Amino acid sequence: MKNLLLLLLAMATTLPAQHAAGQVTNWKQIPVPQLPAFKPQQPKRIELSNGMVIFLQEDHELPLIDASARIRGGSVNEPADKAGLVDIYGEVWRTGGTKSQTGDQLDDFLEVRAAKVETGGGPDSTTISFSCLKGDLDDVFKAFVDVLQNPEFRAEKIDIARKAMQDAISRRNDEIGEIAHREAVRLAYGPENPYARIPEYSTVGAIIRQDLIDWHGKYIHPNNIILGISGDFDSAAMESRLRAAFESWPKGPAFPKNNIQYNPAKPGYYLIPKEDVNQSNIRMVAMGTTRDNPDYYAISVFNEAFGGGFSSRLFNDIRTKRGLAYGVGGGIGTNFGHPGILQISMGTKSQSTVEAVQAVDEDVTNLTKEPITEDEIQRAKDAILNAFIFRLASPDKILVERMTYEYYGYPPDWLDKYQAEIKKVTAAQVNAVAAKYLHKDQLAVLVVGNTKEFDKPLSSLGPVKEINITIPPPPEDKEESKPAASNAEGKALAAKVAAAMGGLPKLQSIKTMHVNISESDAGGPPSPVDVYVAFPDSMHVEMQIPQGKLTIVASPQAAFMSLPGMGTRSMPPAQKSEMLSQLHHDLVYVAQHADDSAFSFAANGTEKVGDVDAAILDIGGAIPWVRWYIDPKSGYILRERYKGMGQQGPFEGETDLADWRTADGLTMPYKHENKQNGQPTSTAEFKKIEVNPQLDPKLFEKAAESTAGQQ
Amino acid sequence: MKIRTLQIACAVLLLSALVAAQDVASFEKRVTVKKLANGLTLIVCERPEAPVFSFYTMVDAGSVQDPMQQTGLAHMFEHMAFKGTDKIGTKNYAAEKPALEKVEAAYSAYIRERDKRVDQDQAKLKQLEKTWKDAITEADKYVVPNEFGKIIEQNGGEDMNASTSLDMTEYHYSLPENRLELWAYLESERFLHPVMREFYKERNVVIEERRMRTDSNPFGRLLEQFTAEAFSAHPYHRPTVGWISDLNHFSATDAQKFFDRYYVPSNMVVAVAGDMKPAQAIPILEKYFGRLPAHPRPDESTTQEPPQNSERRVLLKETSQPIYMEGYHRPDYRSKDDAVFDALSDLLSEGRTSRLYRSLVRDKKIASFCEGLTGYPGIKYPHLFAFIAVPLPGHKPDEMAEAIHAEIDKLKKEDISDDELKMIKTRSKANLIRGLADNEGLATQLAIYQTRYGDWRELFRSVDRIDQVTKADIRRIASQVFTDTNRTVGIIENAGSGGAPQQGEQPSSGAADQGGAQ
Repeated sequence: MKNLLLLLLAMATTLPAQHAAGQVTNWKQIPVPQLPAFKPQQPKRIELSNGMVIFLQEDHELPLIDASARIRGGSVNEPADKAGLVDIYGEVWRTGGTKSQTGDQLDDFLEVRAAKVETGGGPDSTTISFSCLKGDLDDVFKAFVDVLQNPEFRAEKIDIARKAMQDAISRRNDEIGEIAHREAVRLAYGPENPYARIPEYSTVGAIIRQDLIDWHGKYIHPNNIILGISGDFDSAAMESRLRAAFESWPKGPAFPKNNIQYNPAKPGYYLIPKEDVNQSNIRMVAMGTTRDNPDYYAISVFNEAFGGGFSSRLFNDIRTKRGLAYGVGGGIGTNFGHPGILQISMGTKSQSTVEAVQAVDEDVTNLTKEPITEDEIQRAKDAILNAFIFRLASPDKILVERMTYEYYGYPPDWLDKYQAEIKKVTAAQVNAVAAKYLHKDQLAVLVVGNTKEFDKPLSSLGPVKEINITIPPPPEDKEESKPAASNAEGKALAAKVAAAMGGLPKLQSIKTMHVNISESDAGGPPSPVDVYVAFPDSMHVEMQIPQGKLTIVASPQAAFMSLPGMGTRSMPPAQKSEMLSQLHHDLVYVAQHADDSAFSFAANGTEKVGDVDAAILDIGGAIPWVRWYIDPKSGYILRERYKGMGQQGPFEGETDLADWRTADGLTMPYKHENKQNGQPTSTAEFKKIEVNPQLDPKLFEKAAESTAGQQ
Repeated sequence: MKIRTLQIACAVLLLSALVAAQDVASFEKRVTVKKLANGLTLIVCERPEAPVFSFYTMVDAGSVQDPMQQTGLAHMFEHMAFKGTDKIGTKNYAAEKPALEKVEAAYSAYIRERDKRVDQDQAKLKQLEKTWKDAITEADKYVVPNEFGKIIEQNGGEDMNASTSLDMTEYHYSLPENRLELWAYLESERFLHPVMREFYKERNVVIEERRMRTDSNPFGRLLEQFTAEAFSAHPYHRPTVGWISDLNHFSATDAQKFFDRYYVPSNMVVAVAGDMKPAQAIPILEKYFGRLPAHPRPDESTTQEPPQNSERRVLLKETSQPIYMEGYHRPDYRSKDDAVFDALSDLLSEGRTSRLYRSLVRDKKIASFCEGLTGYPGIKYPHLFAFIAVPLPGHKPDEMAEAIHAEIDKLKKEDISDDELKMIKTRSKANLIRGLADNEGLATQLAIYQTRYGDWRELFRSVDRIDQVTKADIRRIASQVFTDTNRTVGIIENAGSGGAPQQGEQPSSGAADQGGAQ
C-alpha cells in the first residue's frame, strides 16, 4: 500500500513536467505498439529421387544468387592419425581444381565475375557454396557443379594447404585466448574426442592425395547433401535447373551414425603457465547437452539470466560490480547434433586470478542460496522473445535455420515450437536446470596465465594439474619413410619417362657415366665440374674453385674430400649419405629402375609447370623420396623435388630441367636450375655426357695421387 | 588471350546493367536526410523486408581527439555511454549527483598527492585514497546497475555494441520496429543526460580490455609499437585504448569534458534502416533528437605528420612465431587518388587471384598469408598503406620484405594487365551491392559516407571513382608512395622460449598502480 502511494506521488511529480515539455520523462511511458503480424516466407523444400534435399528461397531485393550445400561427414569422421584431413580436403576440394580446370583457372574465371565458389570442412559436415550476380548464374553454376562432382585435388595445392596447417600448428600457442579455448574443449570432451582432438605435424604429414580422393568418394553423394539456394531467381526455373543437374546422380550408401565417446576431465584445477601475458584466461567447463533435450528451453532462459548480456548475473557481478574483467560470460552450452560445453569464461589481470576464480565460484554457489528470481526470468524471457523476430529477419536466415533442422533431424517447425516453449518456462524449471547441470565442484577449472604474477598460487584453491602444451615436433623424413604405394598410373608414367630417355634396355646398359658441367651459383661466375659415376654407389666429383681443384669422393671404399693446401679430409657419414642420395636421385639411376618392384612409383595428380599441366610422380621405396613433374606429351621430366641436407640443415630441393638433347642414345636435360627452400641456388649446364666411359677404379678410392694430388 | 579479354568486357557490361538497379536513383526514393535545427543529421533508409530496424550513431570524434595525458578517453566515454542517464540507472539522482561530485573531489585530491615528485606523504596518500574509495561506495548506493543495457536487451535488442577508433566513435544495435520511439528516446537520452557513474570500476574494465587486446597478445603489442613508430607527430601514434599511465590517471570529470566538447549534434550523424516510413519516423526522431542542445562544431585541427625521410623499424623479439609488416604514408581519404589506393589494395590482396597471394603463398611458398591494405590506422587523416605477411615455418621476415618489394617493383615498372584492372572494377561494383543486403550494413555505410563526405550518395560514387582509375595511376601512386624512406617496418622475431617477453607495462608496477576501486 505504501509502495503504491509512493508510486502515485512519483507520477504526480513527473506528470506536470511531462506536459510542460510535451515529452516523456520515463522510458516506461513510451508506447510500444503491437508488432505487425509477420509471416516470413518459408523456403520451398524439394527432395530428389536420389535423396538430395534442396531448399529454394526466392529473395528479389538484390540481383544476387547465393547457394550453400551442407554434406554429411566432417572432421569427427576422419581417422585420428590423419587429424586435419577434412581441413585440407575442405581447402583443396576447391583450390585443387577439377578434371577440366585447375584451381587457378577457376579463380580467374570466377573473380572476373566477382563470383565465388568455395568449399570448406567442419566438425560434422563439409560445405560447398557459390555466390554470384544473377546474370552470371549459368557460368557460375557450371563451375559449382564441376567442383562438386569432379574435383582433382592437385598435389601442388595439397602442399600449400599442408604448409598452412603446419604454420597454424606452429602458431597455436602464440595467443592466450586460442590456447584457453582449445584446451577447454579438450578438458570438457576429453583430448581424444573427435570434437576436441587437434591436428599435429605427424597427422598432417600422413595425409596424402589418395585420402582426399577417398573422402570425396565416400561422402559426396546426393543423399548426403542438403542444398539451399536463395536470391533473385524464379523457383520453377531453378528447380528444373537443379533437377537437370542432379536428378540422375546415383545415390550412395547411407551415412552411418556417429558413435562418439566423451571423456570429460576430472573436476579440479588445471594450469597452463604462459610468461608473456599480464592477463589470465580462465575457463570453467563441464559437459553441456543437446537441443532436443526437453531441458533446452529452461537452459536458454537460465543462460540469458546467468551469463548472457548486460542483464546477466556474471556481467553485473564480475564486470560491473567488481571491475575484474572486460569479457565475462557463459552458460550451459547446447548443440543440435552433439552435447555442447558448459562453460564460464573470463579474462582478468594476473594479480586477480585467484580472486576472480573465487568470485565466479561464489556466483555459482549463490544460485542455490539465491535462486534466479521471477524478475530475472521475466527479463530473460522478454529478451529472448522480443529478439525472436531477428531469427526470421531475412529470407536467408530462415533458409539457414531450415537447413539446420533438416540436417540434424529436427522438425521443420522447430523454431515456432521454440518460441512457444520459452513462453512456458517457469522459475522452478530454470532453477532445476541450474541445479542439475552447474555445480561448483564438478567443474574443470583451467587457468592460462603468468603464474609469477598471480595474487596467490592457484594451488591455494586445491590440487593443480599442469597441462603441457609443448607442440610435438614433426617426425623425421615422413615422406621418405612412408612412400606412397605404386599405382598403375605411376608405373606407366615411369615407363614413359624411361622410353623418352632412350628406352629401358639402353638405360639398364649404362654402368658408368662422365658428365662435364658448367655450374654457377646464383649470380656467381660459372665453374667447371666433372662428375664420374659408377652405378649404383660410387661417385667422384672434381670442381674448380678459387682455392684450386676440389675433389669429393663417395663410394663403398671411401668418403672424403680434398683440396690443395687443405689436404684430404674424410667426409662425415651424414654428408656421404647425402651424396649417395643425390646419386640415387640421378635421372638415369631412377629410370633404370622403372620396372623395379623395390621402387615405388605413385602418380599424384597434375600441377602446372610453366604452361604445361605436368603429371606428378612420387618415387620412393628403395631410394629417398623424389617427385617428378612430367610433361605428359613428351615424357620429359620438367621439374624434380626432393629433400636435401645442406650446411644450414634440411632443405626442400627443387630442380627445373630443360634443354633435352640426345647423345650416345641417351636423352637428357642439359640445363638444371636448382632451388633450395624456394630460393634459387645454382644453375648447371651440361657440356658433355659420356655413357659407359672406362673409369679407373682408383677414382673411387682414397688415394691422393689419383685425384687432385698433393701440391 | 584475346578471347578472354572479350569475355571480361561482356561480364563488365552485364554488370553495369545490373548495378543500375542499385544505383543512387533507386536509393533516392528510399533514403531521407533531415538536418535538425540543432545541427544533427538524421538519415532514414526504408527497407521493408522484416519488421525490424537497425541504427548507427556516428560521432565524428575518436581517440585522435584524446587530450594530452588522457589517451584512451574517447574510448572510456564510449563505455560510459552504457551507464545510463539521470533517469535510467539511478535510484535517486538528486542524491546521487552530489555523491558523484564528492567522488571527483576526492579523486582529484588523491591524484594530486599520488603524482607528487617530492614531498609525497604516504600516510596522507593512504587517507586520500580511502576517502576517494569511500566516496565511491557511497555513490554506488544509488546505482541500478546496467539498467540502460537491460532495457535494450529486454526489448529484444540485438548486436548491441559500440566501438571507438582513432577517427570516430559509433553506437549500434537493432530492435523490433515497434520499439522505434523507445529507441529514439534511449539513444537521444544517453547523449542528453549522460551520467559518469561507476567510472573508476569501468576504468578497470577498460584496463582489462587493454591487457586482453594489447599487452597479452603478441600481434597487439606489434601493432601498438609499429603505429607509434610510423607516426611521430600526428595523434595516430597513440593507442585508442590508451597508455596505461593515462588510464590510471584520467577522471570522470575529464570524460564529461570530452563529452561536452565533442558529443554535440553538429558532430553527429544518426542513420536508421529498416521497416519504417520516413513520413512517420522522422517526426518521432526529431522529437527526441531535437532535444540535444545546439553547439558549434569542435575545432578539427590537429598536428600534421611531417614527411618521413628515413626508414623506421620496430623489432619485437617474442616467444611467438614471426610476423612481418610494413607501412607507407599516404594522404587522407579526401585525396583525389583515394580510389587508386583502393584499387591497389584490391589488386594486391583480394582473393586467390591477388598478386601477393599468388607470389608469396602460391608460387614462392614462403607465407601462409600476405595482404596490402589501405586505411591503417584510420582514414580521416593522412595514414598508411600497410602490408602484412605471416611467414611459413622455416621462412624469415626478411624473405617477406624481399618478396613484397619485388611485387612493389613490378607495380612501378610494369602496367597492370587489362584483366586485372577490369577485375578490380567489377569487384568494386559487386562488393557495393553485397553491402546493401542488410539493415546494419546500410545504416553503417550511410552514416559513414554522410559524415565523411557530407552526402551519403558518395557511397555509390565511390564505385565510379574506382571505375576511372587507370594503369598509369597505379604506376604513379606505387612509385610515389612505396619508397624506402617512406617506409616503417614492424617485425616479430621468434626469440625462442628463452626470449624476454615484451610487456606493455612493467610487471613490478603491480596492483598498487592499477588504481581504481576494487
